[in-house]
Amino acid sequence: MEQADNNKTATIDHATKDPSVSIRHGLTEEIKRLRRFSNRGLWALSLFLFVSTLAWRDFWFLPPAEKFVASLGAPPTPLMINLVLILYTFSAIILSLSRMMAGLRHSSSFCHVGYVLVFYLFYYFAEALPDNYWAVFGAGFTILCMESYRIWTYCNDNIIKKTEQLAYLDRTGRLPVEEPDFSE
Amino acid sequence: MFDKIAGRALVPVGIVVTGFLVVCFVLLYSAIKNVVIHDSVGHANNLAGIVLKSTRYAMMKSDGELNSAIIKNISEQEGVQHVRIFNKKGVVAFSSKPEEVNHQVDKKAEGCVVCHEKAAPITSLKNMQKARTFTNSMGTNVMAITAPIYNEPECANAACHVHPASQKILGTLDIGLSQEGTLASLASIRIQMIIFSVLTLILTIAGVITLLKMIVLVPMQKLQEYTERSERNNTLSHPTGLPYELDKIAKSYYFIRIKLAEIEQKLCKENK
Repeated sequence: MEQADNNKTATIDHATKDPSVSIRHGLTEEIKRLRRFSNRGLWALSLFLFVSTLAWRDFWFLPPAEKFVASLGAPPTPLMINLVLILYTFSAIILSLSRMMAGLRHSSSFCHVGYVLVFYLFYYFAEALPDNYWAVFGAGFTILCMESYRIWTYCNDNIIKKTEQLAYLDRTGRLPVEEPDFSE
Repeated sequence: MFDKIAGRALVPVGIVVTGFLVVCFVLLYSAIKNVVIHDSVGHANNLAGIVLKSTRYAMMKSDGELNSAIIKNISEQEGVQHVRIFNKKGVVAFSSKPEEVNHQVDKKAEGCVVCHEKAAPITSLKNMQKARTFTNSMGTNVMAITAPIYNEPECANAACHVHPASQKILGTLDIGLSQEGTLASLASIRIQMIIFSVLTLILTIAGVITLLKMIVLVPMQKLQEYTERSERNNTLSHPTGLPYELDKIAKSYYFIRIKLAEIEQKLCKENK
């Protein structure tokens, strides 16, 4: 225990003496964090598939739609839900493409699972889920695939960048000079 | 695949176009299906109304033979699977299948339960509520309409048989129509839409691949070949045949190489 404390103290001392050690540590941590973050889209996709399985089995654990209608009032018509679903799919895809183009770090995957679940529930209340199940599934799958791809490419690009910085740090003992971003 | 420009560009395009097309296809097909089914239910309701009007006179006269003849003739029409008239107690009074006559039907049976679900039966139904679909013993998909036969002043006041004026429903007509035609039309629409969607998808992806290759990939490959050739050979040629901004990049590269060669020559001379 004492030896471990001594080692820790020695590392901290070494880090304060040599700034490249703390930079290296920061870069390594960042790479680890990016690797973890790159799986976020796949986790969201798995959760979406789970929600879709519940919808496929017609939400057997929920009370019948009539009970909800009796207490909450009539749901929107399936045509209205269809229009909103198209609008949502279109907006979500455009938003995802814009984020991809701008190279933004934005983790919005899990909220899309929530939106898709709401669509499933609205169709369930309107008793139109069997007819429109594949539309919601297609919309959710497309949006989440796009989000997964966006997050994965963002993380992959940044991991490559950080790895190159790490290699440069090992060679020269300092970080490379950041080039101005001409794309902005 | 994902390390190259083509892969990076085509994967999102493929996902977006395919996904959005599938969503629109399913929603459009669902809307068309609803319209077709509503339409066929409307036609079936009209037909049920025609049958009721045709049998009205025979019922007023309490002419069982004429009623049976009308029902038999209607049931011979192509697409009509069955015609039955039930009395108030749920007993089959007339049927296109003689063996069904005088048989009691359970009020909880499909087609009856819609009105008899609660203690006080419902006396008026909307068009869609009157319809039900099932597969009969011959394996045919059938859409059946259950139309109530309402008590009218002529019925209540008729001399031949007495229905009290307080009785709202005298019986029901149950007519079953084959859905094969409707389902065949829907299948045809579905196939046409799938073909249309697949063609649109192929054309979009092919268009993107062609434009990407023509505008980006081929010129990029030329630029790459030019830089690699310049690195191998000492004699540097002027870049030609590169379009758009790539020409400027190649020219910049050419002038940098020229400058570098000059500096190298100068250094060599100085060393000598």
